[in-house]
Amino acid sequence: MSEFTSNSLLVVGAFFYFAGTVGLLRFPDVYTRLHALAKADNLGLGCVLAGLALQALETDGLAAALKLLLIWPLALAASAAVSYAIAQRAAALGVRPWQKGDE
Amino acid sequence: MKPLTVFWRGVSFALLWWVLAEGRMDGWWVGLCGVAAATWASLRLSPPRAGRLRAVPLLRFLAFFLWNSVRGGWQVARLALRPRLDLAPTTLDLAVMLPAGGARQLMLNTLSLMPGTVGVGLDDATLRLHVLDSRLPVAREARALEAHIARLFEVAP
Repeated sequence: MSEFTSNSLLVVGAFFYFAGTVGLLRFPDVYTRLHALAKADNLGLGCVLAGLALQALETDGLAAALKLLLIWPLALAASAAVSYAIAQRAAALGVRPWQKGDE
Repeated sequence: MKPLTVFWRGVSFALLWWVLAEGRMDGWWVGLCGVAAATWASLRLSPPRAGRLRAVPLLRFLAFFLWNSVRGGWQVARLALRPRLDLAPTTLDLAVMLPAGGARQLMLNTLSLMPGTVGVGLDDATLRLHVLDSRLPVAREARALEAHIARLFEVAP
């Protein structure tokens, strides 16, 4: 049962990583690409870590599982700060957000 | 300084060491030095404040955040995988009512992980957001987030 849950979480995580990468490639400008990275990839990371933590709980114990889960808030904080830094810099350089109807 | 604050911070750092060492106890004296140093540094850099983060609003905020990051990820995944790309991005200026400092920073950073928004700029009390799709109810959700953070920091929004 735990193995099934763990595998499902890993597959769902891979799906979100895939969608985030597709978004990164298809979205039209820097701002919209940040949406794909900041949201889809982080959710993918959360799912993958939850799946791995379930496996670690069985083989390596509680501390190892918690260590994996600890990665998520750290990566989230870094990702939020980096998205803001990139978006702010792009705006300061005068990069105009893509609008509907632009090429 | 309240001894209780020192105690709880020490316990938290000890727990963190235990997690980082994956439960092994053979290097316990290195951990002990690390815990002592971390407790000292945390008391120096972030002295106990009068208004603490309270447990119930914190749990409610975490639940709200978790649910919304799932929604945000799902939404952007759906938009990315749609056969015909259908985006209507826009920017939105929002007056923030939270006080400057930690509360405002938390709002800015959390918004980048919530459905449809990425923070682009913050001057004084105006938050500029990039919105992925103008059809999304972004302003209302940002207000909900603001109310959560206000309760968390015990400030009037």
